[in-house]
Amino acid sequence: MESADTPPESKKHPTPYPLVFMRFRPAWAYIDGIREFGRFFCQTTFGTQELADRACVVIQETLENAVKYSSNSADSELELSILSDGQSIEFSVSSLPDASHLSSLRQELNGLQTLDPEQAYLAAFIRASNEPDASARLGLARIRYEGGVELAMKEESGGRIRITATGKL
Amino acid sequence: MSHFSSVQIPKAETVAIQLTAPNQVKLSGTITQKDPSNDLAGFFKALHTAALADKLTEVRADVSGLTFVNSSAIRLFVDWATWVKNERGQRYTLRFVTSRNVTWQKTSFMALMSLAKEVLAIEQVS
Repeated sequence: MESADTPPESKKHPTPYPLVFMRFRPAWAYIDGIREFGRFFCQTTFGTQELADRACVVIQETLENAVKYSSNSADSELELSILSDGQSIEFSVSSLPDASHLSSLRQELNGLQTLDPEQAYLAAFIRASNEPDASARLGLARIRYEGGVELAMKEESGGRIRITATGKL
Repeated sequence: MSHFSSVQIPKAETVAIQLTAPNQVKLSGTITQKDPSNDLAGFFKALHTAALADKLTEVRADVSGLTFVNSSAIRLFVDWATWVKNERGQRYTLRFVTSRNVTWQKTSFMALMSLAKEVLAIEQVS
């Protein structure tokens, strides 16, 4: 994990390396602590409560998805990184999901991109209301709307995927 | 004692729950369990059923002290609003008391309002 000694410096220089990099086993018990670290880090580094709140949503929901759908294999560690070039912020989560989860994730992300973030969040609420016995599936839409970020998924070698959430500082 | 006041409060690790009036429930803390419905879905359903039995015209759910919740917890509020919306007979207004200082409450309850505005009310406190 790395961070600037003097937080304002992070705004002055494009950063080719993550401000934060963490690797850990996909356990639910870690999520609260990592989210609150993310809140503290963004508040301290960038000095805005608004960004700290957005970071919490992005970190909570991306890590929940990653933990829920991670494979049980020994190399299924999660990686979380936070990067900034002084203009934007990027949260990136790499995981090794069960293969069965990939197509539904792809479909969900593609569906989201067809609507603006607010419309997509409202649509997710309506779907949840109409399908009381199905899982909530509010998380990704919430990340976009409440987190103020756009989402992208990249498939990497070894079956890993990387979810990237990018937004303005 | 009213049905509403007699509803059993579940034990949940990170959220404090109080029935503070014959039509008011107050939640504070955080809800980020993997499946919060295990603790809370039955409780919300019991409050809904009790509110109907008591013929309440309004139920106040004070969530202003809930500093953070995950989307699975937001789903529970969607479900509660849907139960009230789908009620055929006498129904009540479900009033969420929210904090204007807590970001997730502003965004999520605005979305919830658009889903069931005929049965919901949102009250903001500082």
